[in-house]
Order: sequence, then C-alpha cells, then structure tokens
Amino acid sequence: MTGGEFIVRLAQIWLTAGAVTGALFLTIGMDRIDEDARGAYVFRPLLVPAVLLIWPLVLWRWFVLETGRDNWAARHRPPRKQHLVVAIVLAGLILISLTAGLMVRQSWPGDVAPEQLTRAVGEGQ
Amino acid sequence: MKKAPFFVGYLPVPRDLRVFLWIICALLVVGAGAAGYAVGSTQDNPGDGAFRFDYGRQTVTGVIELTPLPLLHVTEGNDRIPAGRTLMMTAGGKAGVPDRAAPLEGQLATVSGVLLERGDLDMLQLRGGQGGLRAAEGDAPAVTPEPLGRWKLTGEICDGKCLAGAMRPGRGLAHKACANLCLTGGIPPVFVSTQPVEGAEYLMVTGPDGTAMPDAAYDRVGQFITVEAEITRHGDLLVMAIDPATMEVSD
Repeated sequence: MTGGEFIVRLAQIWLTAGAVTGALFLTIGMDRIDEDARGAYVFRPLLVPAVLLIWPLVLWRWFVLETGRDNWAARHRPPRKQHLVVAIVLAGLILISLTAGLMVRQSWPGDVAPEQLTRAVGEGQ
Repeated sequence: MKKAPFFVGYLPVPRDLRVFLWIICALLVVGAGAAGYAVGSTQDNPGDGAFRFDYGRQTVTGVIELTPLPLLHVTEGNDRIPAGRTLMMTAGGKAGVPDRAAPLEGQLATVSGVLLERGDLDMLQLRGGQGGLRAAEGDAPAVTPEPLGRWKLTGEICDGKCLAGAMRPGRGLAHKACANLCLTGGIPPVFVSTQPVEGAEYLMVTGPDGTAMPDAAYDRVGQFITVEAEITRHGDLLVMAIDPATMEVSD
C-alpha cells in the first residue's frame, strides 16, 4: 500500500464512521439530548457534512449530555486563559516554519558547469 | 476602587487605553511591514518573463515536429518570430497542444496566438480551435535533429509556460504543484541550466528514446538537480532526453 492509498483508505474509514454516527445521531440521539429538536427534521440533513468530519466530537457530546455530565456554565466560560499561550505558540510556529523553510532551501548551483560525457556519433571526427 | 478601562468598539476610546492602542497600532503597521519586507527580501528575483500582449497576435507557419511534445519549425515568420525559429507551443490555462498537433506531424501548419517571452525563452499560446492551429498548404521541408552527445547538466526542471512568463515566479519549489499540473496537461517542460549548453540556457525536456518526460522527473520538478541527458538540436532549440536513473538532487 502506497502512502497515497493509505491516506485515501484512512479517509474512507473516517467518513464511513462519520456516516454511521450521523445516521444514529440524527435519527435517535438528537431527540434524546435536545428537546428543542424533537419534531424538527428538515434541518437535520444540513448537519450531515459536519458530522461526517467531526463525528468523534459528536459522539463525545452525545455521551456527556446523555449521561448528565454536562456542566453548561463551564462549557460557556470563555477559555481566555488559553489565549495568550495559543498566541505565543502560533507566533513561534510561524517563525519556526519560516526558519525551517529557509534552512532547507537549496542554493542555486550556478558555479557547476555543464559537462559533455560523450560526443555524438560522427561528431569531432 | 478604580474601574479598569473597558474598550467598546462603538464608544469613544477610554482615556487610559489611548496610548496603549496607539502603540499597538504603530507596532502592527511597522511590524507587519517589516516582516513582509524581511520575508520578501529572501525571495529570488522572479525575472522579467511575461505574456507579450503588446506584440499583438502572432501568426506564423512552419513544420510540426513531435518530440513527443510538439514543436513548430517556422518557415514563414514575421518581424517577431523570423523563419528559422523553433517554437514550443501551449494552449490556454494548464494545457498543451499535443492532441491538436499530433495529426499534423511532419506537415506544414499555421499557428496563431500570443507570445510569452523571458530572455531567450519563448513560447506561443495558441488560440482555440482552427484559428490557433490548422494545416497549411505547401510541401513541408524535412526536419533533421542534430545529436550533440551525452551531457551532465545541473539546473532545474520547470514548466515552460510559467517560466516563460505566465506566472511570476514561474519556478522554484513553491511553484512545484502548479508546474506539475501544467506538465501533466501537456505543457512542455523546460530545463534551466546553471550555465549555457551550446549557447542555450533553456532546454526542452523529454524522456529517453522519444518518450515523454518520465514520471520520476515529476518528483524533482522545482528542485536543483544534476542529471545526464542526450542532447539534440532541433532547429534553434535544444532538446534533452533525460536519463531518470542519473537524476540526483544537487547539494
């Protein structure tokens, strides 16, 4: 299996798991954890693309809400404490990316001259 | 207890925050400008290649040769493209003209389009349909390539269209994905040699024994490489049939 085939296979597995999760959540789970969604069906297909991609998060939130572990106040508290750290890390990553790019960049080998290895048949005779 | 200043976008800026905000604004403007200049200064000069729309539409007649990508050996030229020139050709966008030119191999054809030019390198972007490439009346003179032997060259494989001026920069590692798309579309690959070979800095690239550029070479597009090749002169254009087994990334 080549690298490309592995990536495509991984994507297929991920999207299949997302489809199964979406089918279960949008038909059963949503009615169990969100009373406002009960009886409303037209909007549910709109959620399919997102569920295909972030199905682990959907499963986790379903589990938290289903088991009554949700702390809504904590969930909506702005994670401001993390902002400074994230900003510094992102700035550092930009610098590291630029530096790494410049370090691996090749220099134009302008001093290397073309070299004739063999003459054409009949040439120089 | 003193109240901390609180910024609200649609209200006047609190007095205690004014100096702080002015400093931040100045730092952002100066810092972003300096960062942009610093990054830009590390980039190579993109060169002066460009579409020469100022020349107007160019129409010339010549003999089609397949290398396997098509070349036109001009027999009836004009002021810009004199007889005796050898032209590489492309279609609009990321497409070449091998399918359109193949039925006319060895025959006279009239081509029309806009010229791309970068120093000694040029390429003609043909108009669509018959207006861009059609058979011409007359006997086609024979085209005889001249072998120049086997060479070891150092340089870079690019897509000829972007390099000639369709994009700036049209070369380098950052251009690799674009270049490979152009090349798979049938646009002629061009090798930029570190130093001139028989007077030519740019050589068209093919595979060995009249084949198209081998797949292995696509992995090395945009990198500085050393490769051995059989070089042949086709009119005033050099064509190098690379040996992919000898391809190495330059130090």
